[in-house]
Amino acid sequence: MSRVNGLHKTYEIRCPVHGFISLNEWERCIVDAPAFQRLRRIRQLAWTDQVYPGAMHTRFEHSLGVLQTVSMLYSAIASRSSDVLKEDIGYTQDGLKRDQQLIRIAALLHDVGHSPFSHASEELFPENDHGLKFKHEQYSAAIVRTELRDVIENHPLNTANYGFRVEDVAALLEGSTKAKQRLFWRDLIDGQMDADRMDYLLRDSYHAGVQYGRFDLNRVSNTILAIRGTRGRGPRLGFSEGGWHAAEGLVLARYFMFTQVYFHKTRVAYDIHLKGALSEILPRGKFPRPIDAEIGDFLAWDDWKVLGELSAGRGGEHGKRLINRDHYRLAYHSPEISSPDDLVFLELIKEKLGNLVVSIEEASKNWYKTGATDIPIMSDVDPTLVQPLSKFSNMVRSMKANNQVLLYVRPEDSERANKIIRQEVENERTRQGTLEFDPGAS
Amino acid sequence: MSERDKERLSLIPVLAESHPSHHIGRTALMKYMYFLQTLRGVQLGYNFSMYSYGPFDADVLSDLSTAEAMNIVCSTQVSFAGGYGYRIQQAAGAPRIKQDANGFLSQHKADIDWLLKEFGGLNSGELELASTIIYVDREFNDLQVHSEPAFLVGVVNEIKPRFSRECVETSFNSLFEKGLLVSV
Repeated sequence: MSRVNGLHKTYEIRCPVHGFISLNEWERCIVDAPAFQRLRRIRQLAWTDQVYPGAMHTRFEHSLGVLQTVSMLYSAIASRSSDVLKEDIGYTQDGLKRDQQLIRIAALLHDVGHSPFSHASEELFPENDHGLKFKHEQYSAAIVRTELRDVIENHPLNTANYGFRVEDVAALLEGSTKAKQRLFWRDLIDGQMDADRMDYLLRDSYHAGVQYGRFDLNRVSNTILAIRGTRGRGPRLGFSEGGWHAAEGLVLARYFMFTQVYFHKTRVAYDIHLKGALSEILPRGKFPRPIDAEIGDFLAWDDWKVLGELSAGRGGEHGKRLINRDHYRLAYHSPEISSPDDLVFLELIKEKLGNLVVSIEEASKNWYKTGATDIPIMSDVDPTLVQPLSKFSNMVRSMKANNQVLLYVRPEDSERANKIIRQEVENERTRQGTLEFDPGAS
Repeated sequence: MSERDKERLSLIPVLAESHPSHHIGRTALMKYMYFLQTLRGVQLGYNFSMYSYGPFDADVLSDLSTAEAMNIVCSTQVSFAGGYGYRIQQAAGAPRIKQDANGFLSQHKADIDWLLKEFGGLNSGELELASTIIYVDREFNDLQVHSEPAFLVGVVNEIKPRFSRECVETSFNSLFEKGLLVSV
C-alpha cells in the first residue's frame, strides 16, 4: 500500500473531559511511537489514588487533552485577534494556519519527558552544567530530537505541507530563542493560562471525583484573546471583559485543587516515600540526563518498572511503606497563610520534636503551587484600556500565596509527637494569655 | 525555610528599597533576578527560559507572592495609558528577613549596586529587550556559536518585532560596550 493512502483521514478518540479528540494521520503516528505510548505507563497524579482512589489516569490521556485544548484556544485567539497577530507579530492567514499544526504537536509532546509518577520524582533529576536541576521540558525536547525525529520530520503530511524540523518543536518546549516569534504561543503550552493547566484541572477533578477543579472552558475559549503590548512590548494573552468571571473561575479552580488534592497531606506523604524509594532504586540515586547518550536509558524508566522494583523488595524503608500503605503522618502544620510568627512557632515545634520529624514539606516548593498571577482583561468599550483581573474580582484581589509548612513523623511516633505538640500549644496559649493579662503591660 | 529561600526573599525588598524610586515593578524584579544570576553569578537557583516577553521563571513570582504573604513587601497596582503595572515596596516584615540573610546581602552588596547602576534607569520594555539580548547571547555561547553582531541583532528582532532594528542595535551596543556579551 502507498504511504500516502489514508493520509487525510482523521481519527477520533473518546475522552471523558472533551468528548472526542481528533487527530490527523501525522499526529496518530506520533501517538503510536513507543516514546509516546510510554505515557500510558506514567500516572498523572502519582500516588494520589491513596486518597482519591479514582485518580489512576495517565499522562497519555492528559497529553491528548492538551492537544485538544490548545487547538481550541489557538483557533479562538487566531480568529478573535488576527489583527494583533498580523500587525504585531507579522503573521499572515496562512502562517497562522501553518503554525497551528506546530503548536498542536508541541502540546501533544509537552509531557513526553516525564519521569515515573510525574512531578513527584522530578527532584531526582540530575543537574546541568550551571548547577540547576534539569526540567521535564528539557527531557521532552531531548526525546523529540532523538526518538521522535523520524516520525516528526519524515512523515508525508509534514514533508508535503509544513517542513517542520524537530528543532521547531523542541524550541517551543524548552523555551529556546530558536522559536523566535512563535514564542508568543509558548504561554499556551507552558504559561499562566496554558492548555496544560486547563486540561489537568478538569481531568484531575473528573478522575479524583471532586468538583474543585471545574471551570467554564467554553467561556474561557470564547473570551480569550491577544492583547496589544505597550512600551515596545509584544502582545500577551488575556481576556475580553465579558470573560473575567471565567478567568476568575480558572484561578479559583487552581487554588481549590491545590489545597484539596495536590497538597493533600496524605498525597504529600506518598511523594516523600516515592522520592525516598527511587533514590535507592535509581543508579547513583538520579535519573539519566537528557542527552543523546542517556535518553534511551531514561525512557526505560516508567511506573511499571518502578512498581516491579518495589514488588521485588527494593526501595528500602520507603519502598516498604509504599507497598504496605504505612505512610508518614502529618504531625503539625502552619496555617495556609503563615505569618512570620506562625513560622517561628513551627520552628519551636520542630525543635521540640527533634529527630521525630522525618520530613518537612513546604507548599511554596510544590510543583502545583500558585504564584502571583494576574490576568489582563481588555475593556469591551475601549480596547486600549487593559486592567488586571484583580481589579474586577474581589476574590482574586484577596488571594495570598500559600506558604504552609507540614511536619511529618513516622506512624509509630505519631502518638508521642502529638503529646509533645499538645504540650507546646498549651504553653503557647499560656504565654499569650500571660501577655494579654499581664498587669505590668497595661 | 532554607537559606536559599531566605536569600531570595531578602533580595526583593532590598532591590525595591535600593532602587532610586524606592519601588520596582514585576518586570523589573524578574529581569533584575535574571541579570544578577546570569551576569554577576549570584547563585539564586532560578531556571529561566525564554518567552516572548524575555527570560522568565515562575518561581520569581512565587517568591514575590510569599514575600507579600509574609509582609516583607507590599504591592500596589498602578495604571498607565494602555496598561497597568505593580509597585513593589519594602514592608514591615523586611528587616527580619534582611537580618536572616545578612551575610548573603553583605556579600552581594556590590552586585546589587552594580545592577541598579547599569539597569535601574531602564523601563520595563527596555529591560525586556536587554534581557532578551543577553539570553540569546548566552544561548549562542552554550551552543559554542560565535555570532556576528548583525546576526544576533536579527535573531532578537525576530523574537521582538515590535522593537525597531535601530532600537535593538542601540541596546545591543550598550551591552557590548559594557562587556556583558560573550558570544560576539
